[in-house]
Amino acid sequence: MIAVLIDGMVQGLQLGLLGVGITLVYGLGGVLNLAHGQLAVTTGVAAALLIGAGLHPAPAAMLGVLGAGLLGVVMDRTLLRPAYRRRGEERLLLALILTLGFAFVVDGFLAYRYPSVALTLRLPAPAVVLAGVRIRTVSLAVAGLGLAAFVLLGLFLRSTLLGSAVRSIMQNETGAVLCGIDVDRARTIVVGLSALLAGLAGLAQGLFSHVGPEMGPEFTVLALIVAVVGGVRSLTGTFVAGLLLGLVNAFSSFYVGTYLTWILLLLAALLTLLVRPEGLLAYWT
Amino acid sequence: MIPVLVTGAVLALLPWVFGTGGYSLRITTLMLVMIIYTVAFNIIFGHTRQLFLCLGALAGLSAYLSVILVREARLAPAAGIALGTLGAGTLGALLSYVAARRGLGVIFAGIVTLVVSLIFQNLLLGLRRYTNGETGIVTQGLGVGLAGYPVVAYYALLALLVLALGVYRWLMDGRPGLAFGALSEDELTAELAGIDVTRYKVLAAAVGSGLIGLAGALFADFNGFISPSIFSLAHIDIVVLIALLLGGMRTLLGPVIGAAAFTLIDELVRPFGQATVLAYGVLLIVLFLAFRQGLVPFVRRLARVPVP
Repeated sequence: MIAVLIDGMVQGLQLGLLGVGITLVYGLGGVLNLAHGQLAVTTGVAAALLIGAGLHPAPAAMLGVLGAGLLGVVMDRTLLRPAYRRRGEERLLLALILTLGFAFVVDGFLAYRYPSVALTLRLPAPAVVLAGVRIRTVSLAVAGLGLAAFVLLGLFLRSTLLGSAVRSIMQNETGAVLCGIDVDRARTIVVGLSALLAGLAGLAQGLFSHVGPEMGPEFTVLALIVAVVGGVRSLTGTFVAGLLLGLVNAFSSFYVGTYLTWILLLLAALLTLLVRPEGLLAYWT
Repeated sequence: MIPVLVTGAVLALLPWVFGTGGYSLRITTLMLVMIIYTVAFNIIFGHTRQLFLCLGALAGLSAYLSVILVREARLAPAAGIALGTLGAGTLGALLSYVAARRGLGVIFAGIVTLVVSLIFQNLLLGLRRYTNGETGIVTQGLGVGLAGYPVVAYYALLALLVLALGVYRWLMDGRPGLAFGALSEDELTAELAGIDVTRYKVLAAAVGSGLIGLAGALFADFNGFISPSIFSLAHIDIVVLIALLLGGMRTLLGPVIGAAAFTLIDELVRPFGQATVLAYGVLLIVLFLAFRQGLVPFVRRLARVPVP
């Protein structure tokens, strides 16, 4: 029971990591990134290739995450720029289709070029005992990774000048431009940041089991579900939604099986959209 | 109606041009199915701006429903096809109604339909008892028997295509066409001008989804086999989106030309296996960035010919 609870919270942190990237980019420019999961997979494949080339797993993993960040920046500079030039619904639609196309490009490339490359990171000790409870080292590592990322993200948004700029763009784009904020630069940085977070989520998956080229769509869908349930504009909401869905996922996988769990998660997103399109948990922020 | 009949006549000649040999006839028949999907999507997305990312689910729902009803409930094949079509039309109308009522914009409607198609795929995989999961169902003997007669199948689907184009023309020439034009410009203004926006959106979604359903059910019969991956996002929705953009939205011939061109492109990239997905992605990006108007409007402007 406690083991399932811990598992759920850790998975929840991972889900939150995935979802928060979508929320950041959507909040900033009204762009729904349908290639988000593909960024996470890129990390996995890149790190696996580097390890295959003889690099130690730790630097390889870091380079993999950086690779995802780089890919995110490239996507922003090439594909999202034209979308940002438009306004309102036109921008949303263009960005949606462009990122969908990009997702297909990444998926197709990885499946074509590296069909059987997958990342599996093994941590030395299988489990430790903390306050009388056996916890897997993997869980500790992922929890640490997730919490650290969230704290750093919070600090960045609250305490740095750039973070304030980002929050002001989220509130009012035109106002931010009038205040002399370089909106394009802030966007590129945030898309890069969101890609780094996706990369970390991919790494977490690599710690749990494995990340392969075929998992992009699954990651994107998970990220989308979390972001939708949390409210696509609310960071705290996404964090809480991640934890909540992680718990749902763990308990439901444990008691009713993975197949129904998937449908349960999808239904959660569907109902949220139909009942409260602004997000079930958006109300807390 | 003349362009509709001319299109029908030209397509009716294809089996003579390419021969009635197995492979080429099969490809041209699959092309007809894709054209019907695209014509329907043009009504839903092109004219009323409802981003339906569940075309595969609609076609699949009808296909599976028609086959399973015949197999399990011993219905007549024609009744199975009719009920499948009805099911797809109802689902499409329902999604459209809910999205319009809840005021979901094009993006949220897109996410809702995307989630619906994912749920549908999962149900297909999970309800093994009825769907055989990933293995799929051999539909031989469960349909009206198009599989045994490829030439008949071709002309049956061509008849459906001509019907679809006729319905399209009829909608656009009448009141609905005017309403579609107004509401895709600005919904609020259309509402203020006395147009029942929800009603016309639901009408477009119901007609489009019904057409997709009927084509899906006939496809299930003609193909002799259905499986979840045949109706996946990558195999239907993306293809239809590319075909519509390629040919030109809000035109009569755009979907026909676009889907035909796509079939040709698809045949060319087929030898590259997994790289086709990459090619689709590049095509989608390039089309949306550089060629949003599509072939038909392009030819209209270039040659100053009033292409329908």
